[in-house]
Amino acid sequence: MTMPLTALWMVPLAGAALCAVAGPRAKHVALGASALFLFLAAGLAWMQKSNAAFAVINELGPILAYGISYRLSADALSFGMIVLTAFLNLICVIASWDLKVPAGYWSCFLALAAALTGVFLARDLFFFYIFWEATLIPMFFIIGLWGSSGRQHAAVKFFLFTFAGSVFMLLAILALVSAHHRVTGVWTWDLAVLDARALGAAAPLVFWGLVLGFAVKIPMIPLHTWLPDAHTEAPAAGSVMLAGVMLKMGVYGLLRVAIPLFPTVSWDALPILGGLAAFSTIYGALCAMAQTDLKRMIAYSSIAHLGFCLLGVLSRTSQGLAGGTLQLVNHGLTTGALFLMVGFLYERSHKRGLADFGDLATRAPYLAFFFGFATLASIGLPGLNGFVGEFMSLSGALESGPPIFAFAGVLGVTLAAGYALPAFQAVFWAPAGPGSVSDKVIDLNLRERAILWTLSGLMLWIGLYPQPWLAWFEPALRGLVR
Amino acid sequence: MTIPLAPQAALLVGVLSALSLGLLRRPPPSALRGVAIGSVVSAALLALQAPIGDAGSTAILITDAKSVGWLYLICLGALPLALWDDGTDDVFTALFLGSLLGMSLLASAANLPMLFIGLEFMSLPAYLLVARSRPGARALEAAVKYFFAGGVAGALFLLGLSLYYADTRSLAFSGTLTPLGQAGAALMAACALFKLGAFPLNWWLPDAYEAAAPEVSGFLSTAMKSAAVLFLMRLCELAPEARFAAFLPAIGAVTALTGAILALRQQNLQRLFAYSSISHAGLLIIGVGAWAAAGRSADGVTALLFFLGVYAFMSNGVFAFIKHSGLETRAQLKGRGPALAVPAVAFTVLLFSLGGIPPTGGFLAKLLVLWRAVDADLLWPAIAGGVSALISLAYYLGMTRDLWFEAPSGPAPKPGPGAALVIACAAGALLLGAAPWFMSGLIGTIWP
Repeated sequence: MTMPLTALWMVPLAGAALCAVAGPRAKHVALGASALFLFLAAGLAWMQKSNAAFAVINELGPILAYGISYRLSADALSFGMIVLTAFLNLICVIASWDLKVPAGYWSCFLALAAALTGVFLARDLFFFYIFWEATLIPMFFIIGLWGSSGRQHAAVKFFLFTFAGSVFMLLAILALVSAHHRVTGVWTWDLAVLDARALGAAAPLVFWGLVLGFAVKIPMIPLHTWLPDAHTEAPAAGSVMLAGVMLKMGVYGLLRVAIPLFPTVSWDALPILGGLAAFSTIYGALCAMAQTDLKRMIAYSSIAHLGFCLLGVLSRTSQGLAGGTLQLVNHGLTTGALFLMVGFLYERSHKRGLADFGDLATRAPYLAFFFGFATLASIGLPGLNGFVGEFMSLSGALESGPPIFAFAGVLGVTLAAGYALPAFQAVFWAPAGPGSVSDKVIDLNLRERAILWTLSGLMLWIGLYPQPWLAWFEPALRGLVR
Repeated sequence: MTIPLAPQAALLVGVLSALSLGLLRRPPPSALRGVAIGSVVSAALLALQAPIGDAGSTAILITDAKSVGWLYLICLGALPLALWDDGTDDVFTALFLGSLLGMSLLASAANLPMLFIGLEFMSLPAYLLVARSRPGARALEAAVKYFFAGGVAGALFLLGLSLYYADTRSLAFSGTLTPLGQAGAALMAACALFKLGAFPLNWWLPDAYEAAAPEVSGFLSTAMKSAAVLFLMRLCELAPEARFAAFLPAIGAVTALTGAILALRQQNLQRLFAYSSISHAGLLIIGVGAWAAAGRSADGVTALLFFLGVYAFMSNGVFAFIKHSGLETRAQLKGRGPALAVPAVAFTVLLFSLGGIPPTGGFLAKLLVLWRAVDADLLWPAIAGGVSALISLAYYLGMTRDLWFEAPSGPAPKPGPGAALVIACAAGALLLGAAPWFMSGLIGTIWP
């Protein structure tokens, strides 16, 4: 086992290439590759967890040019995100099983998984950036080719917005690498070696360049306007990957790049960043309340949920960091489940407006049960996963930083119930209106139920017994506590 | 055995052979094609064995690392046009090889009059290439416009040369310059910027590129652009004290932004890619400015060489796709992706590469050039270059959207030959991005 980390991103990439040539059997290849990918990721993660010698797995390639070197590194945080990617990727493949789609669909999902894995593995900023941008290409085609009516516009908007942020991130990285070279005489892009003190007075400018790239991805208000379109127009599985993993790239970037490189500057930026995060929680919830489209409502709720993650992470307390990171996983599971269910509804009725349904609880009891379960998890009901993450994030925010942030967060939690529960009531309990298409909806089949049982089980597990999950991330976050 | 100037000699033989074949009543097309392709390939091969650095201080033609590197670039950029040549027009073949000969002379010129000779030798056949490439009045009109623009540029150069000579009493390298010499150097640089299509001297370029046959536009935007970049660099080297070099990053930044913004609203594909080439020229000018500002280091040359190498694939590839598919406007592009299949995929790869999206060669090219700028403390030009890349994405992604995400309308033109060329160009652009270390190894052998 000389190149375990390379194998981790090469397996889905090879799967993507195989799918492209597999013709009608592409989905079987995709299922096999996704399962193998999850098995590999979970296996390596377990090995990393159980053996202290592998607390951080490194894979160091030779220096290629200008200090660029193929260097991968994986700690508990990386593995957490990679296992989440592999898990949601497999869920997406199973959830899309009955779709009539060409081989390219499966290729795109596997290529996306490969690029995402690369982002979470890269230790060299050059490769970090390459993987970061490479994630856009498959998602661009997933939205543009297999999305709903406004997909063309949404795909271009999604790409342009994220690329705009990344350009400034790249310039910031270049400035950092050049400054490091000027001071030390060494060309390097290695995160473990780079020292931002070489920047001197330019450090805040470079920090904000990096943050711009991450903030678009998270997305932080006011850079969020691509998200509702992209999430709404993407196919269900695409929305799952977008919300479940791609939004987490931004927070991961803060945890892995921006905060470790700029511990002081990032702390000084807390009033602005924390303020925007706190505002996101309220603004996202208020926008979600105003939506008439179920999918768009969930998309806006994502903005609010990522605000909680940020509040926790930015507090830089052990509680807040643990809660914010756990909330990343929680949001992937909960919002992933909600997007899938809206997708199942849309497949059956080709509608997803709140007014298009009614009285679904009697027609589709399984759907009602799982939707209710995920909704409760999403609004942070004690005993389910959302509560743990939000509670810890908010207590972290209260411990450090102005109390107004935590107060805004609490207000956001309250408002969440204000959009999620009425939406549930309108779709599942209220009597069907005149234009209702509820009679077209048949209940979930076994495949769909199996997916949702798995997701709901995980939500319950994290809600009741979060200790193993918190302990998992703890070693990777220890160094970030202020 | 090594012969100095063998590549130039090979091209000269090519020109003469094409003209001699034209004396026959019915020149065999295969022979003309053979002359075109053979001359380009042999010039590139002969450049490999050129002895470097054997020129005396009084020589008018030298062979240095730059001239060898650029000979490769020029041959690489010209090869697609040689492949497109159907051998029915001996004059066209001769003009094409003659223009190439001018570029190769420009690449080796060691003093200012020789630079001018190379420049005119390169440009005059190019006007006629544009005029002859397509039947109809539009190509002729564009050629006349192109000719007058080129004439103005040549006049600027001569005026600058005379001022420079009046100051330094020298036609070659000069250490110090008075304001008179500074003005002369600036006028000569204006000529080079004219050829590159820098703002505000860019007005002739879209007309010429739109009216010419696509493969000729590809040739002009790659081989000719490479030669013009070297022309600008030689001027920086001949007069290292010249102040114009300090303005290059700003001019490049404005050019990059102008080209990208003006391309946004273009409907004609050739015109769109003409503006896109102006935008890329802006990045190249930023690169030349950064190279001059950082003491003309080898790093800066490598960045420019790599950029132009990748661009030779990208620009020739997209123009080859226009020729192959027969599509002329963005509206016609809609929904054609599935029907055109593999060439359309290759075109998409080329668009992503032009947009500078990893992991393509276009990304690495922009990265290297902008990094040189950041490294030379030219932060604002670098940011402007990044912003121009961002703006340009709107139309590169827009074309990808048109091609794949929209429904087709109306009958499609029948695709012609040239699919293999589009695919080869896309493969080149992708390979240079995914495995640039081969290329850097190659540059390393030229550039010890």
